[in-house]
Amino acid sequence: MPAVFTLLVQSFLGLTALGIVAVFLTAHFSAVPVKYNLKSVFIRWRSTVATVVGIALVVLVYVLLQSLAVGIEKSNASTGDPRNILIARKGATAESSSLVTRAQLRTLQYFEEIERNAAGDPVISADVLTLASLPRKGQGGEANVLLRGVTPRGMELRPQVHLVAGRWFSPGRREIVVSRKLAGRFANFDVGDTFKTGPTTLTVVGWLDGSGSAYDSECWMDADESRSVFEREMYSTFLVRPKSPEAATNLIRRIESDKRLQLRAESETGYYQKQTLTAAPIKWLAGFLALTMSIGAVFAAMNTMYAAVGARTREIGTLRVLGFHRRNVIATFLLEGILLAMLGGALGCLISLKWNGYTTATLSVESFSETVFSFTITPTLAAQGMFFAAALGFWGTLLPAVRAARLPVISALKAL
Amino acid sequence: MTLGGFILKNALRNKRRALLSVLSVGVSLFLFITLQVALRELTLPPEDLGSSLRIIVRNKVSLASPLPARQLQVIEKIPGIAAVTPFTFFGGLYKGDEKFTSFAQFAVDPARVKDVIVDAKMDPAEYAAWVADRTLCIVGLDTARRYNLKRGDRMQFTGTFYPCDLDLRIAGFYHGTADDRTVFFHHRYLDEASGNPGTVGCWWALASSAEEAALVTARINEAFANSSAEVRAETERAFQLGFISMWANIKVLIGSICTVVVFTLLLVTVSTMSMAIRERFRELAVLKALGFRRRELLGFILAESFGLSMLGAILGAGGAWLLYRNLDIQKLANGVFLAFEVTPRMLGMAFAIAALLGILSAIAPALSVARTSVVEGLRTLD
Repeated sequence: MPAVFTLLVQSFLGLTALGIVAVFLTAHFSAVPVKYNLKSVFIRWRSTVATVVGIALVVLVYVLLQSLAVGIEKSNASTGDPRNILIARKGATAESSSLVTRAQLRTLQYFEEIERNAAGDPVISADVLTLASLPRKGQGGEANVLLRGVTPRGMELRPQVHLVAGRWFSPGRREIVVSRKLAGRFANFDVGDTFKTGPTTLTVVGWLDGSGSAYDSECWMDADESRSVFEREMYSTFLVRPKSPEAATNLIRRIESDKRLQLRAESETGYYQKQTLTAAPIKWLAGFLALTMSIGAVFAAMNTMYAAVGARTREIGTLRVLGFHRRNVIATFLLEGILLAMLGGALGCLISLKWNGYTTATLSVESFSETVFSFTITPTLAAQGMFFAAALGFWGTLLPAVRAARLPVISALKAL
Repeated sequence: MTLGGFILKNALRNKRRALLSVLSVGVSLFLFITLQVALRELTLPPEDLGSSLRIIVRNKVSLASPLPARQLQVIEKIPGIAAVTPFTFFGGLYKGDEKFTSFAQFAVDPARVKDVIVDAKMDPAEYAAWVADRTLCIVGLDTARRYNLKRGDRMQFTGTFYPCDLDLRIAGFYHGTADDRTVFFHHRYLDEASGNPGTVGCWWALASSAEEAALVTARINEAFANSSAEVRAETERAFQLGFISMWANIKVLIGSICTVVVFTLLLVTVSTMSMAIRERFRELAVLKALGFRRRELLGFILAESFGLSMLGAILGAGGAWLLYRNLDIQKLANGVFLAFEVTPRMLGMAFAIAALLGILSAIAPALSVARTSVVEGLRTLD
């Protein structure tokens, strides 16, 4: 069913695009001056403004919702280092729900595919991820925050994360470095503050920044300290750096085929790109709203354009007498409708830019914790919005334009 | 011709425009109702009889941290508690689902859960069979219907939080709770499969009376204060609302979309309706010349635009009501939405918006009709 539906939507969009191109071509060659359309548009300014603003709002809703989905996806897509391999328990759908053992760590340490550092130790970091329910600022209630217990090696493997205030935690102390973006949303997240999680009190000693990656939604502390605070016997995941891309392929194959390990390995970037569950419902909502709102908008645009055709019956008769063909009349009205709608589209895109980069947050379905991301309006998205507007204009004007072209010349001239 | 007949004739004179106006109001109100229903469903958890009595106890750190199983002896003895059961979210992937399973699976103590989920109705023989065999499970009727499950069928789940999988057989079905989607199975099965960690996810308890509930939560919190596993006990209602507040700004987002939709609708409809009147300026001037008063003309205009927008509301809001009543929303939305109920309040709001629409779109043309003299009106070309 979805495949057929997608095909239908695609062919519909293709048809619309073809129609719009045809209109521009015909209008270009037929030489009913565009100035004529522009002037007509502004003579009936009241209904023009209503139509333009209506379409602008429809495009605005679509672009803003899609920009949320793009923001979540971009934050995931820009997370991780392509050279790193993330190893988690088979079946775990998120880092925080994965559990790996010390025995597995010992086995992995001897894999020769893994890079050694200057001291001769394997470059492998065993992280501990826990969720802490913490109060938001103001009246926002509580939300889960992802706490990552991280080793010095794990910090080297994630160069995207850097300190922007205070200092890093010292091992063996109950200290934590929180994300700067989370600090804007949660209570007691300023440097020097303390907060309680269960019976333990943690001191915030610094702020980190993840350069727009998913790490912006994390707080970091010492891995061993985290295991003792949360009474965790096991680690959550391993992050390793293989010696070379070939070694990486071998390593993934070796881990996946080892039945004793029961682990799954994939590139760190690949893992984060697959985190699409949170953005999916937003995209679905955007699509649904675009569809329903555009139906309403097309009806309204049709109404406006029918009225425009009705009021300009004599002009149409004149055009025909002057020798313009029916197709020219259709093209000129369609052009007018599309330009009007695109004006609305441009307005909608412009208004949406006001939110570009604005940071917001929701519950990540994968990690079950607060995830921060920004409204991200890309050129592609703006182009989509403009095309959407043009399509609205096209379908809203098609029938009225055909009606205009069909008016008999003589009676059109006689009309008052 | 009666006055009513005159208005009706006028409204339907341009049938295409009347239809388009009614449809655009209808579509927008349909959208408005749909968003409202979705918002309500996402932010207002369903309730049943036991909701006001049930208490949920979780680890104070977060829902993801387990609690020691030994806490049971302490909770049981707390005065005001009628029943308590371990309640562990398994969160497995049902066989066939790739990324996401929309119904929950909970590991419980079968002997105890009956006294906590008091609304669940089960066949006594099926219940007895379930209690006796630890590999059996009880399935909510909605889920059973959705997947066409029969007694004795196998249900397999892949663990996502738990490093083990489940292979269960269905002992029977339950119904009558606010959410008949869940699968319940033996906590002992989970303990054995995950290597007896001696932990549970949550405790679910039932207070002996609604007045006791608040006192009981305080007593539970106190009992474990300053222990290694501090707890957060709260009523089911508070627990669900806390869960919802984690969605953060999404709620505000849908709310503001609703506003934008209504505003767009107002704008566009007001414009088209006013246009319909403006086109008839000359006729209105004729009527004026014939001796109709201003307020009568206003009445004509108002009646027409009001009638059209009300018709739109009946189509859009009524259509949504009919559609969501007869639609199997659980099957359609992959089990994400449960009831998708259109409440009388939403219908009322939709009709209020339509009424406002009718009045607003009559104001501008009515004013200009009132202001223009007969001569000017007769001269108008637009």
